[in-house]
Amino acid sequence: MPKAILRLGIVAMSRPPVTQWSGRVLRPVSVMIDLPPLEAGALMADRDGVQTVYLGDHELALHSGETRHYIDNLMARQPSVWVAMDNDRIAVVTVDPYEGEALASDPERMVEAVPMPTTLAARLDAFVKEHHVDEVFHKRKRVPATSADAPRAPRILQPQAKWVQTRGRSGRGPLGKG
Amino acid sequence: MSGLSKGKTEPTSDSQNEQRAQHWGLLSSLLVAPPKKDLLAAIAGLHGDDTALGQAYRRLAKAAQTADPAAVEREFFELFIGVGRGELLPYASFYITGFLNERPLADLRRDLAVMGVERAQGRHEPEDHIASLSEIMAGLASGQFSADALGCGAAGEAGFFARHLQPWAPQFFDDLAVAPSADFFRHVAEIGSVFTDIEIRAFELARKQEGPASAAAAH
Repeated sequence: MPKAILRLGIVAMSRPPVTQWSGRVLRPVSVMIDLPPLEAGALMADRDGVQTVYLGDHELALHSGETRHYIDNLMARQPSVWVAMDNDRIAVVTVDPYEGEALASDPERMVEAVPMPTTLAARLDAFVKEHHVDEVFHKRKRVPATSADAPRAPRILQPQAKWVQTRGRSGRGPLGKG
Repeated sequence: MSGLSKGKTEPTSDSQNEQRAQHWGLLSSLLVAPPKKDLLAAIAGLHGDDTALGQAYRRLAKAAQTADPAAVEREFFELFIGVGRGELLPYASFYITGFLNERPLADLRRDLAVMGVERAQGRHEPEDHIASLSEIMAGLASGQFSADALGCGAAGEAGFFARHLQPWAPQFFDDLAVAPSADFFRHVAEIGSVFTDIEIRAFELARKQEGPASAAAAH
């Protein structure tokens, strides 16, 4: 369930082809958190044939269940935004590094990891701080039946051992606890 | 149960057996499914004397007067059904071996086959559920079922009780009394606890009384 939707302006660049047999290719180069008053597809600059094009704005959805991935992104040396394009049109914009890398596995798609603006990083950090629920990884192991930790079910199930929905903010405590 | 009528092999009178059947039947109907409004109303009208069992019944009646059927149903769910499992697993096999559907259930099924008792159509709980066993005890007390054909020292009502209920039923009722969600069922647990204790002692008494007589008859 998306918990926050931002809109980002996407800027792409195309260089003059180095051979006469290839055409220009638009590659995303940066994202803007403040949207410029430009039409989608507007030419922003043309210097020595290097064209900078404003591709328009696209939504960026932040999901509360994926805050772990966002933390990994923010901890990288250069936090990134993954922009995936289909035929010069923006398909997906994400700040989840694993989703971004999965998008990049499609050879038909142009996927670029562009640097994340610091203002966006701050927004993302605030989102993570608000929604992150730390889940400790528990490795299950076999124990011998003679061990004190033998997998016998408890005779009386205690409330803390009961199943409750804990994931995300929608996780509720046991019945009667609000 | 007096069980001391002189020189008779019949340890208890018919009216007492009828009452025992009623006790077991009530335990069974409270533990098989959440009690409905009319059952709660009937329980609220119960009276008890000053014995431990009578006092337990009075407390249950008092709890039934103020009990909300929906809350009792929720409590039953938390205790015996739950998500994944309930707080308690009221099965003989679990209490005796630590696992469900183990050898105690197989033993019980074999004995029930000998007795000619089987699960009703549409009932899917294993037979070693406390409610099923209570129902069987009610049937044995009222004479509806007979356990005389059972072998290996389990013959008769006392033998059936000693083999299938005595090893774990007191522990189960103790657990029910301290289960975190138990509120109305705490009183049911008290009745079960007191009543199984009386049954254990009465069967023991009957066995002691019968023992010398049967030994003398063998000579």
